[in-house]
Amino acid sequence: MSTTLLIQNILNGIAIGSVYAIFALGYTLIFSILRVINFAHGAIFTLGAYFTYVFTGSRFGFNGILAAQGLPFSLPFPLALLCGALLAGLVAVVIERVAFRPLRNKGADPLLTLVSSLGVTVAIVNIIQVLVGAEPYTYPRDPFGPLPNNINFAPALGLDGRILIRTTQIIIFLVSILIMVLLTLFITRTKVGKALQAISEDTVTASLLGINPDRLIPLTFFLSGVLGAVSGALVAVPVSVAGPYFGITYGLKGLAVIVLGGLGNIPGAIVGGVVIGLAEAVLPAFLPSQYGGLREAIPFLILFMILLVRPQGILGRSLVQKV
Amino acid sequence: MSALLEVQGISRNFGGLKAIDDVSFAVEPGEIFGLIGPNGAGKTTLFNIVTGLTMPSAGRLIHKGKDITGQPPHQIAARKMARTFQNIRLFGNLSALQNVMIARHMHQRSNFLQSVFSLPPAPAEERKTREAAFELLDLVGLADRSHVKARSFPYGDQRRLEIARALALKPEMLLLDEPAAGMNTNEKGDLSQFIKAIREQFNLTILLIEHHVPLVMGICNRIAVLNFGKLIALGAPEAVQSDPAVIEAYLGEA
Amino acid sequence: MADFIRTYGFTIITMLIAALLALSLYLPLMAGQLSLASPGFYAIGGYVGGLLSTQNFRDAVYGENLYPVALLLVEMFIAAALCGLLAFVIGWVVLRLRGIFLALATISFVEIVRVSAIVFVDLTKGQPGIENIPQPFPTKFGYIALAGPVLLFVMFFVYRLERVRAGRALTAIREDELAASTIGINPTHYKVLAFVLGGIVAGIAGAISAHLNNTWNPSFGTFDASILILAFVLVGGSRTVLGPVAGGLLLTALPEVLRAASGIPGLPVAVSKLIADSRLIIFGVLITLGAVAFPQGLITPEWFARRRKTDMTRAPEVQP
Repeated sequence: MSTTLLIQNILNGIAIGSVYAIFALGYTLIFSILRVINFAHGAIFTLGAYFTYVFTGSRFGFNGILAAQGLPFSLPFPLALLCGALLAGLVAVVIERVAFRPLRNKGADPLLTLVSSLGVTVAIVNIIQVLVGAEPYTYPRDPFGPLPNNINFAPALGLDGRILIRTTQIIIFLVSILIMVLLTLFITRTKVGKALQAISEDTVTASLLGINPDRLIPLTFFLSGVLGAVSGALVAVPVSVAGPYFGITYGLKGLAVIVLGGLGNIPGAIVGGVVIGLAEAVLPAFLPSQYGGLREAIPFLILFMILLVRPQGILGRSLVQKV
Repeated sequence: MSALLEVQGISRNFGGLKAIDDVSFAVEPGEIFGLIGPNGAGKTTLFNIVTGLTMPSAGRLIHKGKDITGQPPHQIAARKMARTFQNIRLFGNLSALQNVMIARHMHQRSNFLQSVFSLPPAPAEERKTREAAFELLDLVGLADRSHVKARSFPYGDQRRLEIARALALKPEMLLLDEPAAGMNTNEKGDLSQFIKAIREQFNLTILLIEHHVPLVMGICNRIAVLNFGKLIALGAPEAVQSDPAVIEAYLGEA
Repeated sequence: MADFIRTYGFTIITMLIAALLALSLYLPLMAGQLSLASPGFYAIGGYVGGLLSTQNFRDAVYGENLYPVALLLVEMFIAAALCGLLAFVIGWVVLRLRGIFLALATISFVEIVRVSAIVFVDLTKGQPGIENIPQPFPTKFGYIALAGPVLLFVMFFVYRLERVRAGRALTAIREDELAASTIGINPTHYKVLAFVLGGIVAGIAGAISAHLNNTWNPSFGTFDASILILAFVLVGGSRTVLGPVAGGLLLTALPEVLRAASGIPGLPVAVSKLIADSRLIIFGVLITLGAVAFPQGLITPEWFARRRKTDMTRAPEVQP
């Protein structure tokens, strides 16, 4: 493989890895507080992409109940993104109330919560399908205004050929680092963040200290929902909203990311995302070309192996069972 | 007479904390051996090491001359060592009878295919298991409530059920972790008698953790005292009772 | 009668297969293990059936004749053996994991099998899959006559298993694995046993399905299928053998009922299409509802206990 191609692959890997990372941060935020996996994050991710599409004033296509419908006004992309994310955040709060709180109050096994969130995801994804069909929807061109769509790095590295990075990929990468830093600061430095940490240690004691989990947990879901929605829309910008099921695909790959990085570990989400992104982008080049399709299995092979070898992930702490 | 169980230089660290620090003693066949000490002294941790739930950081366990250090719990059970738990670990949703029948697991030799299709020797073994379980329930006075869910029983009955379940293993050695916890004086007295009775009836060696010092003094042949993970005294009850180190350990407790 | 079979036969067999798959999840669940691996074994079983009948046993079909049932039974046996062996190997490795970690490992297994089926085209014929899998029966009734007894046998097996030593060991592990180990039960041994039995049942279901569907491709063993099967057990009941069966039968019949309902004249097209497409939405809602409100499912052991109690309290009839 030529150097140019290798570097391109590496950059693509990091780019897709930061998408996975942004997605996984939503999982991680919930897991670090509540010790459960919110599989519905994938549904929120999808909703974010669709809500943003609606707010840009675009119309829906031929299928579904809302065929050919659209909002009577249109917003510039960044504003549409914001509105879409806020709306998705509200949906996340509703999901918490319906699918998570009853189980939390019963002290149920986290596995039941995972199952409950699976049901929510399946329901939402299929509601979207019934409403607007499964065809891809593209955002208006030039969503970022005057910024160029691609940047060619090859000349800067003194190489021939083209090494392209899309503007969105740079934005996503920077946003993922930014979010990681902001989240870490939020959890460790702010009063709300520390209250959330207390809740994660011991909900009963926390509430005895005046912390109200029933207010703070929905807030966490709102935040994680906004995060998921923003990432969903950003991912869809360069390509398209590829049908409602892409939320489930990301949801599954996201599981690989958080286990690899360490459940509940914020930097771990970035590390896990980038590792899996790089693996997906770079490894297939080493396979004979007819097996290129194995790229799709890479996150799951990694997940399988990490579960066997080191289930606490790269950055996670060892899991000890108390007797 | 060679010891049934030897604890040789067992230590257990959790991070920087030394939960057990170089503890050694031997349990002779047929004796009732007590293990006492203030809260947090490491008694249950030691039990967990002996029964295979926890790995020691150092030291060896010798059972009937064989090194059993690090063997998993089901193999320890196969060596005829049965235990109860400080927090009672019955199968709460199952009936009393089912709890005891399950513990006869090792005494049924038929494989699952023989059992499912009722091929010999399975049916006879199933019958025997049921009968033996009823006998044990009878012994602890719970035979009339054999179909009741284990977690519906009052606390004292749950303790007795757990002992009945342990006895279903047909053990040579019984490890009881605070069997008298939560009992009043009368119940503790009954328990003492009961422990002595089953020692006779089943030819058991008993290793017993207990907080309630008079009970321990009353039935144990020998007592080991732990404090902060170290063995500070070992001997007959009278000797241990008047040992100054032991007195200080207990008086020093908040 | 022939008309009934022609219209509803396929649905009935699909219901029976669904019940089998539900039992394949129920078996590891008896030991407290939530395994979502069944679609992987189902897919492999189907490939065994499809490949053997279109390649190795191809010469058994002469012209217009039917595929010999005996060979179908051979395929089922081989599928069972292969899936059992695979489950054994994977089980020993994976069943050390608990709870969510185990569920995730089994989800990975299904995806890896699915992608492998797409990629290794020489073996599996890739995404389009195997076509023209021969029929062993002239009508769908033959499949019912095969799948029905298979289901009944598996139900009998599980029913008996729960009541004997091995089943008690599984229950003990589910209730409290640690306590179970201290009374002499080797948890890994029994968890693997349950997992292998589940894999075998799913593999057999796959072999039958391949012939039923006349074709077999990677879309038969997906994460979506895991969710469906989970819904069967969660809604039908996770604590007795009738639960998964009821869940599988009912939830598979449900879309057909919906589709029939949507054919009612007078319903606006949009509504009838909505009803028809809503199957997965309803499943999703049922799964969440089940997890939140009825984790033990519809058919619980209490059903049977209650009946016993009323029998005892009823005064005996006095014969005149």
